[in-house]
Amino acid sequence: MDMIFNIVVFPGLLYVLLWTVALFWFFRKFMAALHKRVGPSFNGPAGSLQTLFDLSKLLTKESITPKGVNPYLFSIMPLLAATIAMLPTALIPWTPNLTVVSSQYALLGLVVLIGIEPFLLFLTGFGSDNKYSFLGGIRILTQMISMETSFFLAALSPALLFGTMNLNSIVEQSTWMSFWILFPGFLLYFVALLGLLEQPPFNIPDAEQEIVYGFYTEYSGTNYFLLKLAEFAEFMAVFAGAATLFLGGFRGLFFDNYFCLFIKMILIAIFMMTIRASTPRITMKQMLNFSWSYLVPLSLLNLAWIMLAKIFILGGVA
Amino acid sequence: MLKVFDFFAHAKSESLWMAHFCTGCCSLEMAAAMGPRYDWERYGFLPTPTPRQADILIITGLVTKKMLPALLRTYAQMPEPKYVLALGACSFDGGPYNDSLAVIKNPTEILPADVFVAGCPPKPEAIISGMEEIKKKMKAGIPSAASEGGLWKEMRF
Amino acid sequence: MEGDEILMQNIKNILSSYETEYIEDYKTVWIKTKLLKSGDLLEVAKALKENGLRTISTVSATDFLEENKIEMNYFFEDLLTKRNCWLKCDIPREIELCVIDSITPLFVGASWHEREVFSMFGVKFTNHPDLRPIIVSQDFYGKTPFRKDFDWDAHEADIVTNMNTIVDSFANEELENDKKLDPHGSEMILNWGPTHPASGPIRLKVHCDGEEVLGIDPDIGFVWRALEHLVTKKDFIGAIVAVERLCFMDNINSMVGYCQAVEEIAGVEITEFAKYMRVVLGEVARLSSHMMGMAGVYNALGLHTVMMWNMDMREFFLDFLESYSGARIATAAIEPGGVRYSLEPKMLEELQKALDKFDATKEDIRSIFVKNPTMKLRGAKIGIISADEVLDYALCGVVARASGVKTDIRIDEPYGAYANITMDYITQESGSAQDRMIQIFAEMEQSVDIIKQAKKHIEAKVASAEFDLTKDHMVKVPKKLPKGEAISRVEWARGEVLMHLVTAEKATSPYRLKLKAPSFNHTMMLNHLLEGKTLSDIPLIFGSLYICQGDLDR
Repeated sequence: MDMIFNIVVFPGLLYVLLWTVALFWFFRKFMAALHKRVGPSFNGPAGSLQTLFDLSKLLTKESITPKGVNPYLFSIMPLLAATIAMLPTALIPWTPNLTVVSSQYALLGLVVLIGIEPFLLFLTGFGSDNKYSFLGGIRILTQMISMETSFFLAALSPALLFGTMNLNSIVEQSTWMSFWILFPGFLLYFVALLGLLEQPPFNIPDAEQEIVYGFYTEYSGTNYFLLKLAEFAEFMAVFAGAATLFLGGFRGLFFDNYFCLFIKMILIAIFMMTIRASTPRITMKQMLNFSWSYLVPLSLLNLAWIMLAKIFILGGVA
Repeated sequence: MLKVFDFFAHAKSESLWMAHFCTGCCSLEMAAAMGPRYDWERYGFLPTPTPRQADILIITGLVTKKMLPALLRTYAQMPEPKYVLALGACSFDGGPYNDSLAVIKNPTEILPADVFVAGCPPKPEAIISGMEEIKKKMKAGIPSAASEGGLWKEMRF
Repeated sequence: MEGDEILMQNIKNILSSYETEYIEDYKTVWIKTKLLKSGDLLEVAKALKENGLRTISTVSATDFLEENKIEMNYFFEDLLTKRNCWLKCDIPREIELCVIDSITPLFVGASWHEREVFSMFGVKFTNHPDLRPIIVSQDFYGKTPFRKDFDWDAHEADIVTNMNTIVDSFANEELENDKKLDPHGSEMILNWGPTHPASGPIRLKVHCDGEEVLGIDPDIGFVWRALEHLVTKKDFIGAIVAVERLCFMDNINSMVGYCQAVEEIAGVEITEFAKYMRVVLGEVARLSSHMMGMAGVYNALGLHTVMMWNMDMREFFLDFLESYSGARIATAAIEPGGVRYSLEPKMLEELQKALDKFDATKEDIRSIFVKNPTMKLRGAKIGIISADEVLDYALCGVVARASGVKTDIRIDEPYGAYANITMDYITQESGSAQDRMIQIFAEMEQSVDIIKQAKKHIEAKVASAEFDLTKDHMVKVPKKLPKGEAISRVEWARGEVLMHLVTAEKATSPYRLKLKAPSFNHTMMLNHLLEGKTLSDIPLIFGSLYICQGDLDR
């Protein structure tokens, strides 16, 4: 019974849907404020029903399968992408008592499930039979290879520090001291996160002004809804991962609760949106150069720093 | 069952995304309608980069002969249900370019528009109110004019 | 002044060694001449180029039906020493005989202008490297739409066939592309536009290999309204409606240019108040255009915040235009003889509000967006235009000044009240995409400064009762104009607009109006700038060239 509740309601399908609706609304509202606008306003209180309407519309609108594509590949990819993007929620410790799958290897599962997503998006672009989608697919593959290296290395640093891959025990062992030790790792994780989630300045794969909408170009209706759902579910997995690994997860100053985790996730989202509103996109070459000559070496240095900190600050290998 | 159906129809009418396509000068005022003072996102309008995700095609003013095939193609690429909004005098009868023979004087006879917005160019408020008219039309369940008729069905593009 | 006169004399000396009908001074910086033999053209052009007149502003043709000739006009300019030469010559009107030497091998910038004359008038240019039709839609290929005896009604009678011609030509092009490209290779042709989020109504045929751009062939004419032909169907006042639609972003200055030409032919001098009003309105329009132009550079990089912030300021300037003329954009506020409406003191308050808004916002924009480090990373080394290229391709306005070329018609050939206004050239050094963005912002500040000067002057003169607001704004211009011709140059938001107006005896409407608009030359540069770059650079370079399709196609 618990399992069914977990899958359908929290932290499963309904929770992800609610998160998608709410975060989509929050993004638009926050972006509008930075733009000196109001944002969605007339549907529901402060426009809060607007994104519900948007997503419901997408769900029920006609889904076009263009001529000349493989219909199976074209339609199954969004479904697969959405499903896989939702899986990491099972590994995250949402509250002190709620982790759906508590495993010794949860961290590995998390980074692998997050890391597999761009492959699926590449296949959506590949299967669209559109020049722009194909270019978008190639770009996402290139970006994934260069960004995920440092993402993995940064995500590993808490495991190295605490000597465990169990997310629950990582959260429980975290202290103010460990927060500051992991802070460089967090910054690296955050930069890699921007690349992984295709956010400015790394929104190269779906660059509107260059390649229309990248791999999204041919998708409409339900398929596009699924891709959007996958995107927002991935946001959740990555934000929750960051909060759990580096910021102490559900632990707060006065009480341990889900809301502490939620506030941390929203703070990361706000940070991301502010960068989005003030930074132009960089090019593929600059991204590759940045990733391989700065980000990856820094991530390796960060691991060395964690080792030294563990030995000299926290008092040796346990 | 009927209730659920109603909700989705309401959702469709309240969330109008428009295809990013500009045929003429009125797109400048359309940009102003997106801007801080008029901000049409308040009503739930959003530009999308590709016609595949759009609900409304906006004929922004004049349509030249060279532009017409692109306009019709964009319309054909959009998923159902789709509506057309015609901005400005040009899309009604050629407007100030009525004497110019490079401009099509009756683009809305070819691709019938659901709502016309008058002006050259129409003010941003007028554009938003035109979009609201389309919402009303969708709520009343009136099918779009272009699906009912128009020369575009007989044309090659 | 002495030196200038010697330089002008040099040009006259060159011209006098050929058979000419006349050589005369025209305005302050022009020499007007007419060659008797069209065969001399190439030699004269070469001699002028060696003398420093490296830039060809435009090539234009006028069709004289009764005299059975086509008159070619060449406008040579020297952007550095501000000497210009207006060269004319006649060629026969018969379609087989209407041939002239192409000057494109000497002046690269003439290429598209000659193609335009070829498509509109059927004039053939020998030795032109790439004489294909341009601007006109496919159903006009091989026809001469701008000739006086062209029967538009007969052409438009069968619109279905015309449309099919256009559709077929697109389909054929696609088939040819398929044949041309190696099916196993990675080269492909992307149609960048017209349904593209960043393109607007233009189509760039991008030959690319993966991300690398091999070449670009712009296909223009998607908003071709035949404005130059449209004005000949209207009277002199009605024509401003067509002229202001050159591009809506800065419509005032294009009307100023046209009205100056009409006033010159009519021999009317407008009042000082009207001159100052033209400056104020023109600079407001320039500002509102520059705000969109600066936003365009950032929009190309996926950042819309600049657009929103600029639009926030822009609304206040449009408020002023609205309070003055009743319309936000299509103001039709400039008329031959002055400005259309009288000014009320309340309108100046509206203007003051806009200026205050600009002053309050500009530091934010400067610190966040003008000095943006990511923009520097993207734009500082891309799309570099050297000063030599500016001269060769006849670039103007923001683009030219960003490359360090000191050219600004407001200073070079002051018109209206600009002679009384203190201003200086603003230039950048390297001519990169980032420099063009910075240049646009710097010119916004300059415009605000000019508005403040003009506003102060108007207020002072009103206070001392030297300006009579009720009747000073207009001088009567006769409805019928004498036979004549005039050229008028204005510094438009994007650069030099040159208008060549020809009138017939007792005319009520223009006989011929040539509009030379800057985007045409700037688009010509695209292939040169983008060859060997990547797909990511297309929107940035395209955006930073500040192109408006309205004045590109006319």
